[in-house]
Amino acid sequence: MIKGGLAITRYTLTSAFGRGLAAQRAGLMSGRSMLTAHNLADETACMIGRVAGLEEVVLPAALARYDCRNNRLARLALDTDGFAQAVGAAVRSLGAERVGVVIGTSTSGIAATEAAYRAPAFKERGALAGDFPYRETHNVFSCGDFVRRYLCVKGPALVVSTACSSGAKAFAAGARLIASGVCRAVVVGGVDSLCDTTLYGFHALNLLSRANPRPFDADRDGIAIGEAAGFALMMSAEDSGESRGLRLVATGDSADAYHMTAPHPEAHGACAAIEATLKGAGFAPEAVDYIHLHGTGTVHNDAAEDMALARMGLAAVPASSTKGAIGHTLGAAGMCGVALTAEAMAAGFLPGTVATRALDPRFRSHLLLSAEPGPIRRALVNTFGFGGSNCCLALEWRP
Amino acid sequence: MNIYVAGWGVLAPGLPDAAAARAILAGEQAYRATDGVRTPLAEGLSANEARRCPLSARYALDVGRQALRAAGWDPAGVATVLSSASGDLEIADKNCRALAQPPIALSPILFHNSVHNAAGGYWGIATGSRAPTTSLSAYDDSFAAGLLEALTTVAPDQPCLLIAYDLPPPAALAPVRKIIAPFAVALALTADRPSGVGARLSWRWGRCNPVTDARLGESALEELRVGNPAARSLPLLRALSARQPEAFLWGDADGGGLHVALTFEERGSTDPHHAP
Repeated sequence: MIKGGLAITRYTLTSAFGRGLAAQRAGLMSGRSMLTAHNLADETACMIGRVAGLEEVVLPAALARYDCRNNRLARLALDTDGFAQAVGAAVRSLGAERVGVVIGTSTSGIAATEAAYRAPAFKERGALAGDFPYRETHNVFSCGDFVRRYLCVKGPALVVSTACSSGAKAFAAGARLIASGVCRAVVVGGVDSLCDTTLYGFHALNLLSRANPRPFDADRDGIAIGEAAGFALMMSAEDSGESRGLRLVATGDSADAYHMTAPHPEAHGACAAIEATLKGAGFAPEAVDYIHLHGTGTVHNDAAEDMALARMGLAAVPASSTKGAIGHTLGAAGMCGVALTAEAMAAGFLPGTVATRALDPRFRSHLLLSAEPGPIRRALVNTFGFGGSNCCLALEWRP
Repeated sequence: MNIYVAGWGVLAPGLPDAAAARAILAGEQAYRATDGVRTPLAEGLSANEARRCPLSARYALDVGRQALRAAGWDPAGVATVLSSASGDLEIADKNCRALAQPPIALSPILFHNSVHNAAGGYWGIATGSRAPTTSLSAYDDSFAAGLLEALTTVAPDQPCLLIAYDLPPPAALAPVRKIIAPFAVALALTADRPSGVGARLSWRWGRCNPVTDARLGESALEELRVGNPAARSLPLLRALSARQPEAFLWGDADGGGLHVALTFEERGSTDPHHAP
């Protein structure tokens, strides 16, 4: 990481809170859950965090083959908060080939293939038709390719796909592209949209909450899946010409080396990621003002995260999870963590944990149940994913 | 920063391991896709985990182990970058079939194996390494994107293992994704000059007009190179096998590309630790 961190000169997020930063901030302050009831085919009731209006989004004609829920969500977010314009300005001042793209997603546009498999034509043929746009929809690189083409940037483009840590790791990969001199600016982000693979997949693992998820609550019973797209324009502080605002100061990642879905019971991997981040940022644990928890609401994930915070000396730091409000946005979770934390920093408050009634009495974390006023200068964003993939980000706000 | 290839591994039809591949790629032996077809190993996994481990992850584990052995490295502390253009399409196919057929029920194992970083997860479980690991895709440019990510991950005291792999799709996806044969490759990359002959990479990312791919003379190998995104590594493997200095360019669809120059340092010729 470059000394002093990287400037995040523009960011945006669209989630179940609504479209753009004003909706995120108002939603965070309201303490309301935006989750809605959803029934699976077997009548199982669950909650989902849906983004409204995606059905009406149209992609530019030249990119029509990229049309799928995931890329519509990406377009909606790119067109919000002046994000695409800010990238355009960076392209003009730094050169299109010096602006890279690193996007995190878990399932990309696989919903397009799910739908195609249900069509009568597939059942007759036993195969997809040759003109089905696999590359532009289902393929994991689809959203990175779409973002690059939509924004007309020509630097390196890649998609990081490490399940629920994808969005956070996109920041880490983007930071490496800048630190190595390959790029002067990078568009990083996370895009994940509702699809049956994840809904029925988490159902198969018995990880869907039957009600509103209650992260860190003794009564927690699982997650609600949400969708979100967010982006951040990141560059060196020097190139940004900005001494104030949001900085990414460190990233740390690790592997659990334990199990494909269950976290390490003693949170070794999570601790390694947090420790590397604190060290890289030069933060003493007591200097951290706020932690945006991964806080999914499953029994084991929350227990492991609580243990990791205690072991890293972070138990006294105010912390909250936003997944009871907008759901677990999987590959976009890290991006949600960055944008929501940044909004809290800018507005001077600490977000609460929607739907959670009381901290699990076995936990030691300082969980905020409701939002409270207060400044955040230094924050951590935690993400932990399947495959034991952990990534922690350190953010700093310069008022 | 100088970066060295401390070891490599490969597994594809006719290229059963690095030793066999070296002889073929250096021109000492003919390439025959039907020779030396080998099932990848899932070394280090318990019987239970090995049973669950999909073929794509086995390819990744197999070549990764080969490269570490060649480098003489312990996996602990070695960061990994896993690059796959299309992930495991067999699993995507099975899941999409299950979702299309009432009563809908997904297999929990197929679901957790469907994540793009499943191979990275199994690598951690098999080796016990908690070092940073990432998984990525850039469609047909995935080998170069993975190499770029690995080159920017390597630091003094931070070696990195790049693993790139892709497998042919099942019949239902074959009309929309052409991958002609399985191919997996691993490169052990380090900033520390290895003893003996050092295969050194110097690199930059930049414009490249026009893009001219390095081609392979042997037509079956050239078919493999263009027929599997991970096999875009073959020209580099050929140069490593023949100890032939060479400049490579992996261009992307947008006129950018990764430029890599491979040179060989004889023992004692340039030792950065003893430079004046």
